[in-house]
Amino acid sequence: MSESNYSKEKKVGEGTYAVVYLGKQISTGNEIAVKEIKTSEFKDGLDMSAIREVKYLQELDHPNVINLIDIFMAYDNLNLVLEFLPTDLEVVIKDKNILFTPADIKSWMLMTLRGVYHVHRNFILHRDLKPNNLLISPEGLIKVADFGLARAVPGPREMLTSNVVTRWYRAPELLFGAKHYTYAVDVWSIGVIFAELMLRIPYLPGQDDMNQMEVTFRALGTPTDKDWPEVSSFAGYNKLQIYPPPSRDELRKRFIAATESALTLMENMLMMNPQTRWDTIQCLESEYFKELPAPTDPAEINIFAQKA
Amino acid sequence: MSAQTISGGLDEYDDNKDMCPICKTDRYLSPDLKFLVNPECYHKICENCVDRIFSLGPAQCPYKGCDKILRKNKFKTQVFDDVAVEKEVDIRKRVFNVFNKTIADFNGNLQDYNKYLEDIEEIVYNLDHGVDTEQTEEKLRTYEELNKQLILNNIERNKKDIENFSQSQQFEKDMKLKKKLLEKQIEEEDRFNKEWAKKEIVNRLMTSSGGDTSDVIEGVKNTVKLKKSSARRKLEELNRVLKNNPYFAANNVGQNNNNRKSTIPYTPFNGDRDLNQRFEVDETKYNDPLVQELEKRKDYIASGFRTDFVYERVLTEAFMGLGCVISEERV
Repeated sequence: MSESNYSKEKKVGEGTYAVVYLGKQISTGNEIAVKEIKTSEFKDGLDMSAIREVKYLQELDHPNVINLIDIFMAYDNLNLVLEFLPTDLEVVIKDKNILFTPADIKSWMLMTLRGVYHVHRNFILHRDLKPNNLLISPEGLIKVADFGLARAVPGPREMLTSNVVTRWYRAPELLFGAKHYTYAVDVWSIGVIFAELMLRIPYLPGQDDMNQMEVTFRALGTPTDKDWPEVSSFAGYNKLQIYPPPSRDELRKRFIAATESALTLMENMLMMNPQTRWDTIQCLESEYFKELPAPTDPAEINIFAQKA
Repeated sequence: MSAQTISGGLDEYDDNKDMCPICKTDRYLSPDLKFLVNPECYHKICENCVDRIFSLGPAQCPYKGCDKILRKNKFKTQVFDDVAVEKEVDIRKRVFNVFNKTIADFNGNLQDYNKYLEDIEEIVYNLDHGVDTEQTEEKLRTYEELNKQLILNNIERNKKDIENFSQSQQFEKDMKLKKKLLEKQIEEEDRFNKEWAKKEIVNRLMTSSGGDTSDVIEGVKNTVKLKKSSARRKLEELNRVLKNNPYFAANNVGQNNNNRKSTIPYTPFNGDRDLNQRFEVDETKYNDPLVQELEKRKDYIASGFRTDFVYERVLTEAFMGLGCVISEERV
């Protein structure tokens, strides 16, 4: 718990409430990242997301969840020492020089689901899953990161805010403003990420909150009371345009390279009704992970640009 | 091309891609015009000219300044626009027909195999660029003499591989087609069943006097469910066959032996899953009015609220600490 044990060498990023430095753990020489929270700028004390991050990361220990190594105070600033993770999935998806195979996608999905499964079994909702928050370690492991919006599963009578998750990855119940949602919101996000990995462009890019509903339902069909009981009781439901759900063939045409079981997994992760949407256990046990090709060994996924 | 056209003059006609430089026939007037080349000099000559000049036996290339003697049976259609590429591809084809070992012939020794590939490249380069042509040709011939049996074997093996591949492709294609048909059939049957159920319910409700309407509806729905069609069964069977695709398996066995290091078999949770739940909820007996009341509220149902999640969390937290002694856990 001392600042002298860590060095800050290079500033790599700055957000609204924190600055991230690259550094070394002096005792071991390991590379680390230091997230310095700007306490001084907040008169009312620490920023909420910093508290959340510390609170939940301290609890979690899993190969596919980012590791919080230490916390220390220096010059009135709170510093989080995190493991060093050089890149993230968003960078990989966007860089057209990087080629990846269906087996690589399977490996990433597997690691993401294992990480989120661990978060869920500790009764924590992540609430901000997106490619940008799935970091990749030097060994190729996916690490679920950024617990700034995470929270413990509430008691049954507590209310939740529906204004969470980056828009493109927001589940339909959140778009409707649900107050009692479950782990299913995280599964939806992973489903959208899965689609994005296969297409290499964002799957449901809404321009604003209203447009997000439009885009989501046009792609996946407007839910009705039949497949999602009481969905019409949401305030915004009546104004919606009704789109039919896509048939298997339409999905096949959209996702040309996907196998049948990959589509099954995706369909069930992107199920409109949160009650029947698969949980992480069902996803991990799905046929997709058992069939060939086997997921690539993380260490062998080449995520560095391959110039032709 | 454009640079050549701009340079103009007479050359423009000679370089014209669509005109035979010997008889000046144009593709514009005879659209069937076909060009052939001879691997001796790669000069482009139209089919008619080849027939005319070489029918009576070997003759000199009609190009000015080219003194190669050509034979009619060696003429072939040019595949690549660029003659240099065409030539290299021909040479490669010839060399690879002789040097046709695969990595399996080196017992998986990558270094030896790479050296072998490097040797081949050397030969191709020499022949292509006219470096030590005679020596290289000699090398090629001696290798062919020495390894006749091996070369023949490899040709056989390649043939078999190609055959296997096309067979498996055909098999997969057929299966996919069958699957699509079955799925369509199922869809149609489903639609038919639904309509039938609707009519049946109306009929029964009309004929039955009084009674419980929901019972009737339930009864009809059950009969529909039992009508699991033969198409559906066939589809399941097909899926099973596809999964155990004999070609797919056969192709992969060989690969696995070479590539796969002995890895841990795949498990969904990487062994990190606690299957010994400390409790079992019997929802029919477990009485929690507080939660059960929520289960009926519209906003809860629509949000995807699930009582099993609530029970799981509350009970896990209640029992988690049992049997855990803090003084022992402390490191």
